[in-house]
Amino acid sequence: MSQNSCIELHNVSKSYKDLLALNNISFSIEKGDVFGYIGPNGAGKTTTIKILVGLIPNFKGEVYVNEKHLSKYKDLHKIIGYHPQEVGFQEWRTVDHALKTFGRLSGLNKNLLENRIQEILKFVNLEDVRYKKIKNLSGGMIQKLRLSQALLHEPEILVLDEPLSGLDPSMRFQIKGLIKDLAKSGITILFSSHILSDVQDIANIIGILHKGELLKIGTPDDLQSDFQVGNIIKIEVAKDSPLCQGLENIPEIEKVEQLASNLQFVHLKSEINLDLIINQILKSLIESKCNIRNFSVVKPSLEEVYLKYVGGEVK
Amino acid sequence: MSLLLLFLDELKGFAKSKIMIILWFGLPALAILIHFIQPETEDFPITSLVTIVVSSIGSTLSSIMLSTSIVNEKNNHVYELFLVRPVKRYSLLISKFLAVYLCLIIAVGLSLLVGLVIDGITVGIPEDFLDLIFDSLSISLSSMAITCSIGIFFGVLVSSVAAAAILSVYLGSQLSSIILLPTFFSETLDPVLLALTIGISATITIMMINIVIFSRKQF
Repeated sequence: MSQNSCIELHNVSKSYKDLLALNNISFSIEKGDVFGYIGPNGAGKTTTIKILVGLIPNFKGEVYVNEKHLSKYKDLHKIIGYHPQEVGFQEWRTVDHALKTFGRLSGLNKNLLENRIQEILKFVNLEDVRYKKIKNLSGGMIQKLRLSQALLHEPEILVLDEPLSGLDPSMRFQIKGLIKDLAKSGITILFSSHILSDVQDIANIIGILHKGELLKIGTPDDLQSDFQVGNIIKIEVAKDSPLCQGLENIPEIEKVEQLASNLQFVHLKSEINLDLIINQILKSLIESKCNIRNFSVVKPSLEEVYLKYVGGEVK
Repeated sequence: MSLLLLFLDELKGFAKSKIMIILWFGLPALAILIHFIQPETEDFPITSLVTIVVSSIGSTLSSIMLSTSIVNEKNNHVYELFLVRPVKRYSLLISKFLAVYLCLIIAVGLSLLVGLVIDGITVGIPEDFLDLIFDSLSISLSSMAITCSIGIFFGVLVSSVAAAAILSVYLGSQLSSIILLPTFFSETLDPVLLALTIGISATITIMMINIVIFSRKQF
């Protein structure tokens, strides 16, 4: 077990009757990490999360939180804040009443709670609706309320199940901003999504789950470099500069694509020595007297990597 | 701690609900209505009649309210946020039962008070009125407790709001009559004592079954 690890899952499996929801999942998250857990709907993300927060007690494998076995962690609720995917609130409650109830149930002192609620509502920008009934809130506001209740007791670990799902672009932007702020504060975050763009600019580690199996885990850079869709070199020259000529004659180049008067994409054949071919291309550019403005190896986008892993089954 | 907190919380919620407002204002109004519809009750005080009618209507409505609210909350995943905190599953059910039962007692109490006032004005309070009130209240409270626990049973068991409501209406009321069933077979049995014994034991048994089923639910 890693000393710095905050969450560790070892060979975790879970079945619902004949359906294998999780198959031997193992991963660890270190303190301060922002772990993006992505996969299509039904991949097993919510099952993993529910195991982690203690809602599913019967599963195979071992889970450790802060080096303590999950089954022996009596105060788990104190260190984990959970934002469920589709939880509803009792609609007769006001925002204030709901937060007071959850705060008291989390063991917060009545006096402290009053200030904490104010602080949280200010953070998520829900101060104006504090005394409004939940049934009168919009979907985005309810999502913010879900986040608020998870943050009430100042947890060390925040587990967010599809926090951006079903929101309009403006609200997605706002909630994403809040998650980024929380990540900056050093809190360990695990959040799931079936949309890669939700996690790619927040997470420092991404796990791709598909049909109950963890296909890949790593930093966004690792994922991109491990999964070369095909090497492409982007060459951009100054507006009045000639484009590079004769690249097609290099045997390692598959084709040259001209996307603009000053932009070329050079597609390389697979299994070539990238360093060698770059030298050859640069030599040609110099010979063609091109005024280079940008020369870069284009990596596959994370979206492409994700789609390759899940076989285009993203729903 | 969490049970008391949840009980007070549920009490606040149910007390504000439309059904409870109907019970608290509608049932005493019904008591007055009964007096005008059926002024000839001979020696039978209106108070006793009101207690029986009102508790029967009240317990049916409460049973529907309990079953449908539990089904709704289950379907909307409301319990997840409670269960990730140090809240026992049984606390969720017991707090609901106690909150609704208390609301129901208040509604019946209010109606009873109205009945007493009517009796006082019209026929006068009979000498054995305390015995009569105690008898009808004991039977009613026992029956109400069973009906409420059956409402919770259907709430926990089924996942359709309509099915929960229908089952609570038909079976809830029918099953609560078991408290008087033995008196049909033996006249020597004291109906009040029997009602209290059966009422308490049946309610505890049904609630225990409810807790076992609820504890096995996957949220």
